[in-house]
Amino acid sequence: MDLAISAVCFGMVVASILALAAVGFTLQYGVTNIFNLAFPETMVASGFVAYLFNSRGWSIWLCLVVAAVFGGALSLALNVVLYRPFIRRGSSFLALFIASLATGMVIHYTIAAIAAEGSFRYDLAHERAFTIASANITWPQITIMVISAGAMVTVHLFLRRSRLGKAMRATAVDADLARSCGVPTEHVVNVAWLVSGALCGLAGVTFFMTTRSFGATSGRAFLVLIIAAAILGGIGDAYGAMLGAVVIGVTTELGAVWLNPGYKTAVALLILLAVLLVRPQGIRAEFARVREMQA
Amino acid sequence: MSAEVQFYLVILLVYGCVALISCWGLDLQFGDTGILNFAFIVFQAVGAYTAALLTLGPVETGVFGKMQEYFWGADLPFPVPVLVAAGVGALLSVPIGFVALRRLRSDYQAVAMLAVSLIATTMMVASPGFVGGQLGLYAIPQPFEDSFALSSTEATWAYLGFCIACVAVVGWIVVRISRAPLGRTLRAIREHPDAAAALGINLTAVRMGAFVVGNALAALSGALLIQFIGAYSTNDWLFPETFILLAAVIIGGSGNKFGVMLGVLLLPVGLSEAVRYLPSIIRPGLIHQLQFIVLGMMILAFLWFRPTGLCPERRRRFDVDGRARPSLAFGGTWLGLQRGSLKRTRRPADASAEVL
Repeated sequence: MDLAISAVCFGMVVASILALAAVGFTLQYGVTNIFNLAFPETMVASGFVAYLFNSRGWSIWLCLVVAAVFGGALSLALNVVLYRPFIRRGSSFLALFIASLATGMVIHYTIAAIAAEGSFRYDLAHERAFTIASANITWPQITIMVISAGAMVTVHLFLRRSRLGKAMRATAVDADLARSCGVPTEHVVNVAWLVSGALCGLAGVTFFMTTRSFGATSGRAFLVLIIAAAILGGIGDAYGAMLGAVVIGVTTELGAVWLNPGYKTAVALLILLAVLLVRPQGIRAEFARVREMQA
Repeated sequence: MSAEVQFYLVILLVYGCVALISCWGLDLQFGDTGILNFAFIVFQAVGAYTAALLTLGPVETGVFGKMQEYFWGADLPFPVPVLVAAGVGALLSVPIGFVALRRLRSDYQAVAMLAVSLIATTMMVASPGFVGGQLGLYAIPQPFEDSFALSSTEATWAYLGFCIACVAVVGWIVVRISRAPLGRTLRAIREHPDAAAALGINLTAVRMGAFVVGNALAALSGALLIQFIGAYSTNDWLFPETFILLAAVIIGGSGNKFGVMLGVLLLPVGLSEAVRYLPSIIRPGLIHQLQFIVLGMMILAFLWFRPTGLCPERRRRFDVDGRARPSLAFGGTWLGLQRGSLKRTRRPADASAEVL
């Protein structure tokens, strides 16, 4: 039982990281309709940039900001240099899918070529641990949860209250209609990539903070968790992604305790397959726009 | 030829045959039907493991405990394991195809396949007792050396002969499928699934057909590979491996079987052999990583500058009465040269209609 409680607690930490990533992923997908498989590599790249500054003695929280800026810049650059030209040319989404995978591959192996096989870790200032209901939680983990919750509230306010957020939702529903109503969709799409990249950068650093040591290959397994959370919540739906992140985060950790820890990702993948099979529109489709997911 | 050169040549050719068979399978799915199967390499693994289990014999317990771990084994005479492997690959693709191909739009199909590939790897790594996990299977007997008592060199040549025979048969099958009415159906589904469905084509059934046949070819190639190299583990079928094959198909020309052949010569064979002779500068793993960077760049470049690949798919022309117009041998469009660009005979535009 104690194990289960600490699994749930750690699951919530994983869920808050996953929520950052999944909301970023789903927001960008909803607006642009591009399945960005280079997303986890952007995450890893941001994590490494944060490491670069952290190893120079910068505080990790400052590095978090740097990583968010870098992630946003990288993902915006990917859109401007790569995806937008392909879309303008009218490439099919399969071509875009492959292009994003190829980009991810290039980023991944570039990082691997620079970082070699080494394993790295951040220099965290406080690592004091608390015990909450027999679960050990460290100070950074609590901070991660707070940051994630803060980011979620910010995203919510941004989407609901700001003009830009409303324009973004309009673009996600129908880009052509939004454009003819005077929404500068190209600008909105750029902002979506920027926000998604910034969330991705935050997710990268917080992920590496919890895994303690990390290397160039750390991001790959996380991609599936992100996709699983996003699809479980109904892809393109930011609130669904938050819910999906909690479900996936807690289930994988519980799966690690009750089954074999090696099956951790397999549990998430099985959830993903089950959702795709039974309810591809996601768990809260009644509340969100129904996407054309089925052929 | 000295023995070393011979040996090298044989290895290269066998690898080429294996890559060619699997790329044709992938092209049948991706190039003809438009299924993006990121779990393709898993079926190669299924074939390889099946063939290995059917040749290794029952689990041996030596003095130091089990030599290597696998759950079951048999010792069947040579061509049987290879054929059974292809069959198992086909059978196993039915449930997976049922999950992925039945209701999903094609980008989610690709995501589902990616998930299948990653699930398979994590499960196999997590359960080493099944087929060896990360350590894998090894010491798999080579067919001709054992059953026909040939010398090592003769056996490898004999094996190469068998591989080439397989390539010939598989090539005949895929070209037949592509030229038959079924091939037209596949291309219709690729180009416009809704229109194809409106014409009364059962999308799921036809897609499933292409999926099963393609995966059977993947399993066949895996079986041929493992019977030759004699060792196999989870590191041999991580999901980027599918990407190499996909790159060969895209760069060669998806939908054009001869283009795919060219792609195989350039990428899985050419690129990996070319880098083999580079001195390992700085550190050993670097070349491997640079290889993937080059691969990714090449895919992006081809998607941008020449999305149809080096040898584009033949544009099939039909006369008004529905008969196919004859085309050049090797399928009409060769290295991008249209028939009309060689012969300056122009037909009136309304006399023929281009169909798919």
